[in-house]
Amino acid sequence: MQRIAMLIKVLYFGRLKEVSGSSEESVELRDGARIEDLFSQCALSRPELRKFRPSLVAARNREFAAWNTPLHAGDEIGFLPPVSGG
Amino acid sequence: MTSAHANDHIELTRGVIPNAAAREIRAAEDGAVATFDGCVRNHSHGRATLYLEYEAYESMALAKMQEIADELHARYAINRVAIVHRLGRLEIGETSVFIAVSSAHRAAALDACRYAIDALKKTVPIWKKEFFADGAVWADGELPPAPAETPAAKPASN
Repeated sequence: MQRIAMLIKVLYFGRLKEVSGSSEESVELRDGARIEDLFSQCALSRPELRKFRPSLVAARNREFAAWNTPLHAGDEIGFLPPVSGG
Repeated sequence: MTSAHANDHIELTRGVIPNAAAREIRAAEDGAVATFDGCVRNHSHGRATLYLEYEAYESMALAKMQEIADELHARYAINRVAIVHRLGRLEIGETSVFIAVSSAHRAAALDACRYAIDALKKTVPIWKKEFFADGAVWADGELPPAPAETPAAKPASN
């Protein structure tokens, strides 16, 4: 497997945006990484994110996605707290 | 995303949702228009609410709202759908979400309208923050269902 890096766009919303201190960032990951690896990477510099993991759903390119979904360079990944529209 | 139903109206707006929105979807073949007007309540869990702020993952929210409209057409004998959600700061009594469904006969419009607001609250990435005299909280919400993890997810390809 190639070990080249890929760049992923990460979006935070709601309370997660406040906890992470930003709404958007770019994260570099090894090729073959999955969404759960991305979250772990993001939580390295912000350990307080970890406790939100059980109450989040991930979206890959604007579609809900399982945590073990493989990432591709240029993907847009959103970490979404429980939704409360309406 | 293109829709097979060109007369549907899907929108996120920071402006006031007009009262006349329901009339706009009505056409000659309709016998009924069912509407849902979700508005800002002055209390939450026993506390007096001052105002609300809504934010969205806008591109995804629009896609999910369109999916709901498409699903309504697949499930019910309806003609047109309007789903409009407001973002930003909303005062007590203002409309936060407006849904209208038109049909030849009332049952389809009423059922579809109920289905639409229930689906919106479960699957559209919009978040509400409630402001009180002594602070603010993100409203409790619903975690949208995610696809199940597979033991051997397909490896990255492309």
